Amino acid sequence: MAAYVTSALFVHTEDTAHLIEPLQNNSAGTSVTPVVFDAFMQSPHAQLTGVDHVVVSGPLEVVKQTMRLAATYHFSLGIIPTKEQIDLIRFYDLPKNPAAAVDLALQRDGQAMDLILCNDKIMLFKATVGRIPILDTPAKASWIRVLAAALKKFVGFKLYTFRFSTAGKQKINTAASGCMILQQSRRSFASSLISHDHSFSDGMISMVISAPISIIAYVTLLWQALRSSKGYKQLPSSIGYIKSPQIDIAAEIPFDVLIDDEDATHTPLHCENIPKALRVNVGKSLQDEGVSAADAGEIIDIGNLPLENELLKAKRHKRIPFFSYASEERFQDLFPALREDARINSIYLVLMVLSTMLATVGLYLSSASVIIGAMLLAPLMSPIVSLSMGILRGNIELFKNSIGKIVIGVLIALLSSALITFLFPYKPITDEMLARLNPTLLDLAVAIISGIAAAYSKSFREIIQSLAGVAIAVALVPPLAVAGIGIGRTDFHFFYQAFLLFSTNLIGIIIAATFTFRVLGYSAVVRRKASLVVVFVFLVLISIPLYLSFSRIVEDRIFEQSLRKERFLVNEKYLIIIKASIIWRGGNRIILMDVLAREPLTREDLNSFKKKIQANINKKLIIRLKTFYIP
Amino acid sequence: MKNLVNFLILFPLIFWLDGCDQKPVIAPSGKTIKIGIIAPFSGPVLAYGTEGLKGIEAARQLQPYLQNGDRIELVVEDDKNDPALSVQLLKKLVEKDRASAIITFSSSKPVLAMAKVADNYQTSVLAAVATHPDITKGNGFISQLGFDDDFQGTVAALFVRDDLLIDTVAVFNNPTSVYSSHLAAKFEMKFKSIGGEITDTVALTEETAELSEVIKGVYEQKPELLYLPISVKNVVRVIREVRKLDWKPKMMGGDGLISTMLGQHKEDIDLANGMLATDFFAHGMPLTPFGNRVSKKYREKYKETGTPFAALGAEGYALLLDAMSRCSDPADRDCINRQIRSTINFTGIIGNISIGPNGKSRRPLCINAIQSGRSKFIFKVY
Repeated sequence: MAAYVTSALFVHTEDTAHLIEPLQNNSAGTSVTPVVFDAFMQSPHAQLTGVDHVVVSGPLEVVKQTMRLAATYHFSLGIIPTKEQIDLIRFYDLPKNPAAAVDLALQRDGQAMDLILCNDKIMLFKATVGRIPILDTPAKASWIRVLAAALKKFVGFKLYTFRFSTAGKQKINTAASGCMILQQSRRSFASSLISHDHSFSDGMISMVISAPISIIAYVTLLWQALRSSKGYKQLPSSIGYIKSPQIDIAAEIPFDVLIDDEDATHTPLHCENIPKALRVNVGKSLQDEGVSAADAGEIIDIGNLPLENELLKAKRHKRIPFFSYASEERFQDLFPALREDARINSIYLVLMVLSTMLATVGLYLSSASVIIGAMLLAPLMSPIVSLSMGILRGNIELFKNSIGKIVIGVLIALLSSALITFLFPYKPITDEMLARLNPTLLDLAVAIISGIAAAYSKSFREIIQSLAGVAIAVALVPPLAVAGIGIGRTDFHFFYQAFLLFSTNLIGIIIAATFTFRVLGYSAVVRRKASLVVVFVFLVLISIPLYLSFSRIVEDRIFEQSLRKERFLVNEKYLIIIKASIIWRGGNRIILMDVLAREPLTREDLNSFKKKIQANINKKLIIRLKTFYIP
Repeated sequence: MKNLVNFLILFPLIFWLDGCDQKPVIAPSGKTIKIGIIAPFSGPVLAYGTEGLKGIEAARQLQPYLQNGDRIELVVEDDKNDPALSVQLLKKLVEKDRASAIITFSSSKPVLAMAKVADNYQTSVLAAVATHPDITKGNGFISQLGFDDDFQGTVAALFVRDDLLIDTVAVFNNPTSVYSSHLAAKFEMKFKSIGGEITDTVALTEETAELSEVIKGVYEQKPELLYLPISVKNVVRVIREVRKLDWKPKMMGGDGLISTMLGQHKEDIDLANGMLATDFFAHGMPLTPFGNRVSKKYREKYKETGTPFAALGAEGYALLLDAMSRCSDPADRDCINRQIRSTINFTGIIGNISIGPNGKSRRPLCINAIQSGRSKFIFKVY
C-alpha cells in the first residue's frame, strides 16, 4: 500500500499547467500548491519553506534545475513526464498514463539517487566526449542500422591522446576516439557492457572509453556489437572502463561535451558524483536497485587501451592503420616462449636427424605412412614461427637465432638423407620422390595454409600446436629429404627440383605466418625498416623460383588437361589418352601416358604418334607410354 | 620507402613487359593483290558464304597488308552453290579480275566441278568447306583447308566404336549428295572393319515419303546409334520420327550440322539434345593465340561469337597470306600454289594446320555435342 505526502509544491511551466487540476484533485488527499517555474527559481528559498516534497513537470532543463535545488534543500521529488520525454520515462520507470504518473509523483519515501555533475552541469543519462562509434548504438538496433552508423562514423576516424584522472589519484594517459559517461543509459551497447556493475546509487561514475587502434580492431568491435544481446563478463577489445566517484578528462585538443544529447560544455571535464543527493519517486522496477553495489570500490580496466609507446604510434597516425599493433609487454607469455623456440638445443638436432632419416627411408619405400611418421617427428614449426614474429616486429635477435636454427636444421636434414642415400646399395626413384620433383600449385597452397595455421595456433594457447607442426612438416620435410637424396645420388637436377620446392614452401610459410601475426595484431609499435627489407628480400626470393617453376608447372598442367581431351588417329588406329602427366628429369620433359587402343601398336605407330604430339608443342618431349587394349 | 614501393610495383611489370612481343609496323607499298572469293551467298546453304566472309573480314582487319606492304583486295562472287556457276566464276576471277588466288566456301559438288578445270587456270583454289576427298585429285591447284571425309568418316567410326563402345549402328545417307554418300560409306566401311555391326543402311532424300515407316523398320533392329551424315532438314525429320517412338538412341552427324542446327533450326534444338557431330571447331575449346585474336576481333566487329564457317574463313585468309608472303612476288600464282602445298604447322584457330603437296590438309577434328541448346566440345582428334 503506497503512502503519500500530505503536501507538495507543483513546479510547472505553461505547457504543463493543465496538470494542476488532476494534482489538486488527487485521491490521496495531498495538498498541492502550484508554482510557475520562473517564479520558483526567482525565490526558491521562500517557495520551499516548509516544503518536503516537490512535483515537477516540464522540459528536461526544468527537471534538472529542480533536482539541483532538491540536492540543496533536501526535498523529495516527484516527476510527471510529458509524452515526449521518452528517456525520462524509461530511465525512471515512470508511468505513461497521466493519472498513474500523478499518483506516483505524490507518493513519499522516494528512492535515494546519486547526482552527477560534469563541469557543474547535471548529467542525468550520459555524457559523451569525442567520437564513440558503435558504443552509443542502441543495444536492440537492427544490424543494418548498427552497420550504417559504424560506417558513417568511420569517416575521418582517428585517435587522440586523453588523460583521465580518478578520485583515487590514478592518472591514465591513453589514446582514444572518445569516451562516454553513463548514469542511467540503459539502451546503448555501452550500457550493456557495464550493466552487471552499474547502479545509480553507488556513489560512482561509470565511464566507457573507445579506442579501436586499427581498422581490424574497429571491425572486431562492430562484430562484437552485432553479436551482443546480453551483458558482457569481459570487456570487448578496444574498450576501456573506469569507475570512480570522480573523473577528470583532459584531451590534446578541446572537445565539445554532449550532456544528455545537448551541447553543454567542453574539455577539460570534471565530473563528480554527489552520493544519494536526491530522493526521487521512481517506478517499481528501480525501487530496490543499486543497494548491493553501493559499496563497490574504484575500478580501472584499461588493458585494452593503447598505453606507453603504443600511445606514441596512435598519436603519429592521421588515420587509424589497417592492422593493429602492440607493445611487447602485452604478450608477456608469448615472447619468452618464442625466444626459447629460436634457440638451438640437442632435442631439436636429434629430432631433425631422426625425422629426416625416417622420411628418407619412407621415400625409398614409397610408404606414405612412414613419411607421415617423419612429419610428426619434425621440429620445424617453432623456429619458423619465431622467425615470422622476428620479421614482423623487426626483432633482430629473434630473427638471427631462428634463421640460424632453421639453416642448421636444413643442413642436418640434407646431410642425413644424403648419407643414407650414399650408403644404400639400391637407389630406386619412387613415386613419392617424383611427386616432390614436380611441385604443383597445391603444394604452395599447403605451405600458405600451414603458415597461417602455425601463427594462429601459436597465438592461442588452447589450440594444440602440434597440429600446425604436422602441416608444416607436410610441406617441408619430404622435399628436404628428396633434396638430400639428390645430393646422395650426385644428381644436381634432382637436388635442385626438390630444394626449389622446399625453398618455395619455406618462404611461403614464413610470409603467410608473418601476415597472419600482423592480422592478429602482433605488429610492433615502432616498425623497423629492416623488417620491411627482410620481407621484400623474401618476396624477391620467392618470386624468382615461382616465376621460373610455376609458369612451367601451369603450362604443364594445362597441357596434361588438354591431352585428356584429345584423341589421335595414327595409321588408322584410334588412340585414347586416359591419363597423362608430365615430369622433369635432367632438364627433359617426360610425358607419362596411359593409352587405350584396339590394335597392337608398332614402332612406326609410336613414332607417328610422337610426331603428332610434337607437332603441337614447341618443346622437346620424351614420351613414356603404357598401352591398354580395348577387347 | 616510396622508392621501395615503386620498385615492388615495377618489378613484376618488367617481367610482364619482357614477355610482350613488339608488333612490326608495315608500311603500305601501294600495290594491290586480289583474292577471289567464290561462295554461296544465296540459296539453302548461304550460311557457308556469309559466315565465311565475315571470318575473312575479321582476319583482314588484323592483317590488311602482306609483309611487304601490298594491300589485299577481295573480289567476292555468289555461285549459289551451283557447280556450273562456280566454274564460270572461277574463269571470270582468273581471267577478268586477275585474282592471284581464290578461296571457296562452296560445298563438295561445285568444288568437284571446279577441280575438273582447275589446271586450265593455273590459279590456286583453297577449298574451305568442301570435304570430299576427290576435290584434290586429278588437279594440281585445288587445296583443302578442312579435313576430308575419309578422315572424318574414319574418326567418327572409331569414336563410336572405341570411345562410346557401341556395337550396332544404323547409317543414313543421301544418294543425291556426293558428300553424304561418301561419308556414310567411309563410316560404314571403317565401323565394320573394327568389329561393329551396321543394322541398317537407309537412303534418305528430301522426297522420301513415309519416313515413319522407315524409322520403325530401323527401330526394330535396335541400333544403339544412328549415323546421320545428311542435310540438317532431313536430320530434323528423322529426330522427330524417332521421338514419336519414344526412342532415345545416340545420334551423330557430320561437319556443319550443329552450327546449322543452332543457326537455322533453333525451334528443334531441344529435340536434338545429346546429338553428336564431327566438326572443325567448337565453342569453349582452347584457342591458339591467333584464334584468340581473331575471336576478339570478330566479337568486336559483329557482336557475336563466330561459327565454324567464319573460323574457316579467317584461317583460309591467314594461311593464304602466309603462303603469299613466302613468295618473292606475292602475286605469282604458281608460287602461291607451291607455298600453300608446302604449309607446315601453320597456326590455325585451334591448332596447327599442314598442307601436303597433294593439297590435303592435316588438322585436328572436333567432336561436339548439343547440350542444353548449345554446342559443347567433347574431344579433339589429331
